[in-house]
Amino acid sequence: MFGLSTFDYDEDGFRECDVTGLTVHKSAEDLVKLFGVTAIVSLAVGGAFALTVALTRWEAIGFLDPGQYYRFTSLHAWFMILFWMVFMEIAILYVGGPFVLGRKLSLSRLGWAGYGIMLAGGALAVFSIATYDLPNQAPFYTSYVPLPSPAPYFAGAVLFLLGALVAAVPFFVTLWHEKREHPSKTLPLITFGAFITGVIALEALVGGITALTPAFLWRIGFLEHLDAAWYRQMFWTIGHGSQQINLLAMITVWYFMTHVIGGAEVASEKISRVAFVLYLFFINLGAAHHLMSDPALSSSWRMWNTSYAAYGAVVASMIHAFAIPAGLEAGRRRKGAGGGLFGWLWSAPWKDPGFSSTILSIILFGFLGGITGVMMGQMQLNMSWHNNLAVPGHFHATVVTGTTLAFMGLAYYVLRLVFGRDWFASRLASIQPFFYGGAMAVVCLMMMYLGLLFGVPRRHPSVMDIPGTAFDFSPSEPFFVVFGIAAILSVVGGALFVVIAVGTLLAGGTFTPPIVEDRAISPVSGDAAPPHEQSMRGTFVLVLVFFAVFVVLYALNWFLLSQVWEIGP
Amino acid sequence: MGDDDHSPLESPEGHWWNQSVNRRESIWLGISGAWAVSMFGWMLGWTQVGEQNQTGQTYEVSTERYRQKVQSFKEAAGTLEVDGEEVLVPDGNDVYVGALQWAWDGLPVVLQPGETYNFHLGSYDVQHGFGVRPEGNLSKQISLQILPGYEWVVEMSFDETGTYHVVCNEFCGVGHRSMHGTFVVQDHEPVETGSGGSESSDAAYGSWFTSDARGGATDFDGEPTDATDQSDVTVEVGADGNGGPYAFAPTAVQVSSGTTVTFEWVSDNHNVLVESQPDGADWEGVDAFENEGYSHSFTFDAQGVYEYYCEPHLGMGMKGVVEVV
Repeated sequence: MFGLSTFDYDEDGFRECDVTGLTVHKSAEDLVKLFGVTAIVSLAVGGAFALTVALTRWEAIGFLDPGQYYRFTSLHAWFMILFWMVFMEIAILYVGGPFVLGRKLSLSRLGWAGYGIMLAGGALAVFSIATYDLPNQAPFYTSYVPLPSPAPYFAGAVLFLLGALVAAVPFFVTLWHEKREHPSKTLPLITFGAFITGVIALEALVGGITALTPAFLWRIGFLEHLDAAWYRQMFWTIGHGSQQINLLAMITVWYFMTHVIGGAEVASEKISRVAFVLYLFFINLGAAHHLMSDPALSSSWRMWNTSYAAYGAVVASMIHAFAIPAGLEAGRRRKGAGGGLFGWLWSAPWKDPGFSSTILSIILFGFLGGITGVMMGQMQLNMSWHNNLAVPGHFHATVVTGTTLAFMGLAYYVLRLVFGRDWFASRLASIQPFFYGGAMAVVCLMMMYLGLLFGVPRRHPSVMDIPGTAFDFSPSEPFFVVFGIAAILSVVGGALFVVIAVGTLLAGGTFTPPIVEDRAISPVSGDAAPPHEQSMRGTFVLVLVFFAVFVVLYALNWFLLSQVWEIGP
Repeated sequence: MGDDDHSPLESPEGHWWNQSVNRRESIWLGISGAWAVSMFGWMLGWTQVGEQNQTGQTYEVSTERYRQKVQSFKEAAGTLEVDGEEVLVPDGNDVYVGALQWAWDGLPVVLQPGETYNFHLGSYDVQHGFGVRPEGNLSKQISLQILPGYEWVVEMSFDETGTYHVVCNEFCGVGHRSMHGTFVVQDHEPVETGSGGSESSDAAYGSWFTSDARGGATDFDGEPTDATDQSDVTVEVGADGNGGPYAFAPTAVQVSSGTTVTFEWVSDNHNVLVESQPDGADWEGVDAFENEGYSHSFTFDAQGVYEYYCEPHLGMGMKGVVEVV
């Protein structure tokens, strides 16, 4: 595939990976390369759009005029949230299934077909965004009915989702074959996580097709009317459901990467699997938090769904927040790489971008993305978040500092272990996750401040100048300056990743296992006791800090809301 | 690494379900569960003791009907001059807010501090967002979704006096960023309301320009412009009037049969839809929203009154007449 790989396969198409010990088949690996490279190219394009959008919102620069701003923001959304994420996720399913199980990818042709359909649908959607004209309006990500988005846009979106559905089939069939052959064998945790990710993806994709197909029929005039509230509710099954795919894929990557590079082991199979099952049953309705400030829904419906999500999904996330660092702590203590409270952490391979991306992703996702997500999911707090800039602040914290960083970490290892090439400019590669994660964290924080403390709306090209009134949001300007500078740095950080990835593919040397830096740890010097008997005191301290921050931010947000005038009965 | 006993890449061995869990992990599970229950309890409790709960009746209502409701509200309201601007004083405690591309109908209003008002939120066209904050304190802000087809009634009561700014928080088309309205909270003397507004005595053209017709009352003074001596007449679309660029100028024009009238767009996003025309006339207007610089010509032959309006701004009173005499 691409002629860029340095590995050879045996006559059955298999090869053994010296780092992970996995048996990898060409049928799966080719597709991982295809989806992975497409994702990285999309990230590069989406990053360019990110720059234009950020420099417009930083009105001192004011790069785009309002009409173009709406168009470019829509394009940014498509390249990032759909192309970069979904293509990468299909690659992750193929790693989590056939790679880990050491199997061929069953029905791999469907993988290729799915890729083709996704590409065609995506191209149609993007083309219609790039070329729409009045009376059509920019669809952004939501294409809320009855604002007229271009009809081909809806068709393209449905096609894209259909393609993703088709591409997921080989993963499930591979698992089915595995279970037929070994009915009593438990799936490895990574495969189990990928499986749950796949099921949640199916729900989301079917929901999305259910929402967008009528929208298409309405737009071409076949249906006369489409209810706005119905569309919102159905749209968010894919709109947020796809974010749950990101979340689960990211968590699966966390388990994978901390193990492969940091030597993490599973702290408790039972608890981690229960957390995945909780996601399966509970996280889908977490999407209801998009409707917390909507008419037409009773407060008991809204309360039930937010509490449902709070019980099920939030607890599951908090379990992973403990289980993953604990797995790292226990695994490293067992291998003799951790003394004292945090020795296991200080001695970790921080210069390895695969490792540092993963850990930064865990920290930033938890502190910035996770906590804010829970807060806006509370019915009343939602009023102070709804549709202002804090919302993009939240989802950039989850999808960028969380998922994107984790995927970048994985991609570093796709380059090494799948393409067999060592990083070009490895010094730069060591710095990149910190640079990108740090700058992006500032961007997210600024958006949250701007939204919550100044009420700056999202999807607005100019808040320093609102035509027809003297009112504006100028007190927020200093925050926009920090936002703008951090955004530029983030784009530079993201571009660095693309440069390293492309450079590695074209000019990187051959990667020779093992992973040098951290394999010095010797199993003999460690404690032989199983992971659950290892001390997890370092992790415990970390999660208590996390919990304290959570409680403080929660209280602050309620205080802020309590200052507002009386609303409701 | 194939020797690892506890790798997430390998099937767990033995009775993994029965394996004990680290004590600290169990404690964390307990904390997480208790925290989830606490957050739920707090949210539930806030509905009883908290003062900010975005709950209220929702009614299904057509956009056309909602437009009429806002119109009735405006007619029943009194007026008061605040800082040189005429604002509405609600008749009673109901306030109707009509969101449209790209304005807030029903606003501005003046409200008494401490009084509880029922805010009716609805849309004339697409989805909008009711984002509100007092002028002096931007961090006191909330946002509520507005959907076409639904009227949401949410109680609100304001203690802090001053001007409150309403911006649209949901993308609603190219003019989204300009969608701004206000209301004022201040003590004021009682104002006579419920009189039905200033009914125009001049019912020229039926009641097309009065509040009895769709879109409600307009700035039209009842005097048509006489252009019967001209063979080419120009009507500006989106000229100043009706509280913004929402007027046809001249609003009503009298022409002779065979006159070509050219409609010239002088601001963005208007169309010209024909409400009524004489039998046998076949003027079709302009369906699409057009922008500044666009023009449309039609030669009016059949005698009689041609009533027309701009669809997105009908609620603002953007209506016109061509009369062939």
